[in-house]
Amino acid sequence: MVYCLYFIVALICVYTARHYWFTLNRLFGFQRHPYIDVDTADWPPVTILVAAHNEEKVIANILSALMTVSYPEDRMIVIPVNDRSKDRTREIIDEFVERYPGRIRPFHRTSGKGGKAAALKDAMELVETEIILIFDADYIPGMGLIRQLAAPFFDPEVGGVMGRVVPLNSGHNLLTRLLDLERSGGYQVDQQARMNLRLVPQHGGTVAGVRRSALREIGGWNDSSLTEDTDLTYRLLLHGWKTVYQNRSECYEEVPETWPVRIKQIMRWAKGHNQAMVTYALRLLFGKHRATLRERLDGTLLLGVYIMAPVTLVGWMLALAVFYRGIAPLHGVIVLLSLTAYAAIGNLAAFFEIAAAVRLDGNRKRIALLPFLVLGFAVSILSVSRAAIGQTIDAITGAEFHWDKTERFRKAA
Amino acid sequence: MSATLATSALILAFFAFLAVPLIPACSELIRKTDHAPLNVVQQYAGDIRFFADGFRHYLASIQSNLEDAALSGFDATIVMPDGIPCVVLAPDAASHDLGIDSGICARTIVSLGDLALPAATSFVRDIYARRNLEGGTGDQYRAVLGEGDVHLALDSIVMRWVHAVGAIDCAPHCRLYGRVSSDRSILLHPGCSFTRLNAPRIATGDHGDGGSAESPEDTTWTTPNEILERVLHEGDFRIAAREVFVKHLVVRGELYIGAGARILGNTKAQKNVVLEPGVIAQGSLISSAALKIGPNCRLRGPVIAEHAIFIGEGAQIGSPKAPTTVSAPRIEIAENAVVFGTIWAREQGQVVEST
Repeated sequence: MVYCLYFIVALICVYTARHYWFTLNRLFGFQRHPYIDVDTADWPPVTILVAAHNEEKVIANILSALMTVSYPEDRMIVIPVNDRSKDRTREIIDEFVERYPGRIRPFHRTSGKGGKAAALKDAMELVETEIILIFDADYIPGMGLIRQLAAPFFDPEVGGVMGRVVPLNSGHNLLTRLLDLERSGGYQVDQQARMNLRLVPQHGGTVAGVRRSALREIGGWNDSSLTEDTDLTYRLLLHGWKTVYQNRSECYEEVPETWPVRIKQIMRWAKGHNQAMVTYALRLLFGKHRATLRERLDGTLLLGVYIMAPVTLVGWMLALAVFYRGIAPLHGVIVLLSLTAYAAIGNLAAFFEIAAAVRLDGNRKRIALLPFLVLGFAVSILSVSRAAIGQTIDAITGAEFHWDKTERFRKAA
Repeated sequence: MSATLATSALILAFFAFLAVPLIPACSELIRKTDHAPLNVVQQYAGDIRFFADGFRHYLASIQSNLEDAALSGFDATIVMPDGIPCVVLAPDAASHDLGIDSGICARTIVSLGDLALPAATSFVRDIYARRNLEGGTGDQYRAVLGEGDVHLALDSIVMRWVHAVGAIDCAPHCRLYGRVSSDRSILLHPGCSFTRLNAPRIATGDHGDGGSAESPEDTTWTTPNEILERVLHEGDFRIAAREVFVKHLVVRGELYIGAGARILGNTKAQKNVVLEPGVIAQGSLISSAALKIGPNCRLRGPVIAEHAIFIGEGAQIGSPKAPTTVSAPRIEIAENAVVFGTIWAREQGQVVEST
């Protein structure tokens, strides 16, 4: 029992050190933005896939935005992937097709397997370009974003590109404000530090791009994955393709405004991520492939981020059990000192990271909300643990995953 | 004090301490002083002419004053809508009073004709010339917009931006800290430093034509084939002289490309890349370290390095029909090189004399 506890504590310390490493790199290290200054080029033809399932509230916004971006019109085609929508999504898309002839090629999917990856997989039949950019329907790209996301593909090592997601409804309530802080930490520090350190920036599946030849090489979209983006990141990595993160390629998104929607979202992410962990962790760490040692280590740690929630819960239970059984590991004093040190430094790691991110973003007073993140973390740790337990039961009983779309809150345009 | 009271006090104190960080948090939650979404500029596409266009728009607000001055034939001093003093120079005035005091001109200058500026003067406000602008030696500018050609004399300094509809000619040792753009061409002489340049044609050296042995049209580009095979090589790699390499190439070490070699795909190396003279690359060229481009190389671009780029004499990057970008924190360009499109040196760019 004690050794099991030691192992969990060691794991938590590794993740704590990682938080600090990333934050300090972001604050004081060399920042890599190699492709962001490419503003003139013989731009390649791109296809923009807009994943849409019952998106009548938001689809017009993104299509309008895409029609005004600064990219040669004759080299850009938009494919709204209307996946079995039962609302006005089809009607709105068709209105845009009529208004912008030749620029939008609709894909109305009326049957087939559910889920974004399955819809994208089917839509690939319409894709003729080497560069594919992907947006969820609730995103609003700015004028320069398409060029910024296309530029890294001049690099033959790049298979995937990820931009930065910025919550648009950040000020709506406590939840959206906490999610705004979490997103800041996740992108401004985590993703950019991984880019700086040549680790494994994660493909997010939206505000993102993928090279068609790379996608073909890795076997296309995996429609049995709950998080096709994580799955894509690892398959690209295992085949010698890099995913790059562009911190300055920002795009607005909508974050959940209610806790039940948030819980559902994070549970889906956790299940998908754990699915990828089971599939790729051992192969990434020990397999024969093109990833560097630091990519193997970071990629494995990244795969483990969601499983750390139930692991931490188990650690707490073990610590209580050890205490009540009267065991004093490492003569007690060392444990007491370690506990004190961790309380002083370790517990602050995630808060430090988010505070640094918010500061880098040029915001000041929202840092005051940091203590409330304890609430967000508590909800996350329980939801993610619940997801992991449910997933284990599903694996034993042979139940199939099913994909839940995140509910939208924006009023129809 | 009873044990119960002491315990209660202890618990209360514990929760009081716990609540302390929540005071500013609750205050921010209720009063919402910083809740707006992060400012993502939706309408800005990174256009180098952004400030020049803004200045032109700003001048539109005094259009009637400009027309009056043009008709009167005399210079006029006006106050801009934001309170900044401005001198409008009539095209036919015999002489101009720019209000220079101790080598400093604190007025916005709007010239309705050609403009010749005195030497060794610091112009702390923006300058507009409806026709050509001829700067003085050692002048320092905040920003310049010329509807004709702009000539910056020896040792000039531009702090923010300069844009010309015509050509820009920078004499030796100009320091261009901001954006420099032209709708026609930019010519930089040795000793000039820069950060961001954009023009259909950017040339270096004493020859107005950039010194290319061939005209740009002599090089016929073909877009790298999408279905070219990609080669991933661990360690260093060498492409032999005069070899024709028909693949996309990713090298995890250093890359040497022999003289006269021709590469049809996109090329990337994790370490330094060295191009010997006369290499032709019909795709992009990228290095995670430094990139040395030998004399008379012809590259389609983009050309990107994460540390530094050196462009040799007579090299040509991009073409009039396919302009491109050269980007690195530090860029050095020898004389008589030509880039069609953008050169962006985040830290510093420098034109150096050929050795």
